[in-house]
Amino acid sequence: MKNLLTFKNVNYFYQTKNDEIFALNNVNFDVEENSFVSLVGPSGYGKTTILSLTAGLLTPSSGKITLDGEDKIDIKKIGYMFQKDFLFEWRTVWKNITLGLEIQKPKDKEEKLAMAEELLKKYDLYGFKDQKPRSLSGGMRQRVALIRTLTMEPKLLLLDEPFSALDYQTRLSVCDDVYEIIKSEQKTAILVTHDISEAISMSDKIIILTSRPATVRETLSLNLEGTSPLKKRETPTFASLFDHIWRQLSNEETAKNKT
Amino acid sequence: MKKQQKTKPNFSKSHQLYVKRLKKDKFVINFFRVFVLVAFLGIWELLTYYKVLDPFFVSSPSRIFAQIGTMAQNGTLLTHSWVTLYETLIGFGIATAVGYVIAVLLWWNEKVRKVFEPYIVVLNSLPKIALGPVIILWVGAGTSAIVLMCVLICIVITIMSMLSAFLAVEEGKILLMKSMHASKLQILFKLVLPSSMPEFVSVLKINVGMSWVGSIMGEYLTSKAGRGYLIVYGGQIFKIDLVMASTMILCILAFGMYYFVSLLEKKYNPGAKS
Ligand SMILES: Nc1ncnc2c1ncn2[C@@H]1O[C@H](COP(=O)(O)OP(=O)(O)OP(=O)(O)O)[C@@H](O)[C@H]1O
Ligand SMILES: [Mg+2]
Repeated sequence: MKNLLTFKNVNYFYQTKNDEIFALNNVNFDVEENSFVSLVGPSGYGKTTILSLTAGLLTPSSGKITLDGEDKIDIKKIGYMFQKDFLFEWRTVWKNITLGLEIQKPKDKEEKLAMAEELLKKYDLYGFKDQKPRSLSGGMRQRVALIRTLTMEPKLLLLDEPFSALDYQTRLSVCDDVYEIIKSEQKTAILVTHDISEAISMSDKIIILTSRPATVRETLSLNLEGTSPLKKRETPTFASLFDHIWRQLSNEETAKNKT
Repeated sequence: MKKQQKTKPNFSKSHQLYVKRLKKDKFVINFFRVFVLVAFLGIWELLTYYKVLDPFFVSSPSRIFAQIGTMAQNGTLLTHSWVTLYETLIGFGIATAVGYVIAVLLWWNEKVRKVFEPYIVVLNSLPKIALGPVIILWVGAGTSAIVLMCVLICIVITIMSMLSAFLAVEEGKILLMKSMHASKLQILFKLVLPSSMPEFVSVLKINVGMSWVGSIMGEYLTSKAGRGYLIVYGGQIFKIDLVMASTMILCILAFGMYYFVSLLEKKYNPGAKS
């Protein structure tokens, strides 16, 4: 299958006044079209940096990023859901969701508005359509941010820990929903998460990062049976995969502590 | 929130008690507010009536009201008040609008901002009244000098406050806009300006106070009419009643203007505690 995104020997340095932080060291990976890829690694390992590079918000210090066959990243092909919801307090929920449409004014705006309405209903937020974000809970805010991203119908979805503010039950079901939307809409997604089981249950591929300067430690291709993330959690290979990834990450931690 | 209350009339006992207590507290506070004013005026009146204080120096409420009555009769109440109010409003309007636009321009271009930053800081610490004679030389004595004084006093603080509000917009929200492919103009109008509305309202509030300082100072420097003029004039001919009456009218006008601005605050910053 065709690769939608490739990172080739990507290095990235954060420049600050007093320091140069070597964040990514020779990162290589690719994301196939219509696949679901997870990036795992503890805090500060460069996951957000990888997403920002993908979205074209940062430019690699060296190396090459190719999106949809082009070296120049077309930001309109990307939907980026940030770690924080960044809802605008002075806009209603509906106005927040349609912000991207307001900015880009796509030709099929009407259809996208209809889709936004559908998604609102699906996530039990329709009643809050005309409310300000102030009156929403953390989980609701995150769902609004997710809908805001999905409404743009991007080719590639970047999800930076989208479920972190949800309680465990909601988290499982939102995972299921997002998975289903992405699969049924034939989208490609990169998910950043701390949660190993989330990564296993949702992904076709898992990329494990090393500590800073981050590089790809291991790429796991998964082929779990089961139609939904919840079902996948029950498969026998799930536990052994979990164990494997967990070991990888904890080796990384101990290696880091030694140096 | 209000809507919910309307559709849900049956509140619990404890909620009713809570609302009752709120109402009672409010009544007590309002009562004492009026009480303080009445007591102050009453004591003032009594002290001057029994000549504990000399009304020649401190005036008295009854004399002030009499003075206001005379002014109302001969028409000077409105004419002089209008002169000062006019200068204040024009100065306030120009300073706020121009200051806001300058702040936007400085936000837009980082290099220009860095170049002008030290000058703005210096201008801010300069006592603007020192420019009085220069202003009169430039624009001549009269209304334009007074308005200019008013503008100078308000504009620097407007620029500084608005600029820092613009710059305080969360970096992540700007990134979000960028990830949606927003242009800089869109970032300005859809993110930076709306998110700085609360600061804008507080700048308006500050400017209400400052613009009265400006116009009265301007009138002290050069004027033939206005409340500030009357205060200086009254002081020179030892007519303290006129001074006090004018001061009182200033209080009322300034409060009125402040009140209008605080109505805006309810609209744009409903979360703020008033
Ligand atoms: N703007 C910045 N300036 C300087 N250094 C930065 C900046 N952003 C990130 N870094 C550094 O780069 C490294 C990777 O950061 P990144 O945000 O990509 O981590 P992360 O894996 O997303 O972590 P988390 O799980 O906590 O979100 C960190 O060690 C951080 O110190
Ligand atoms: Mg991160």
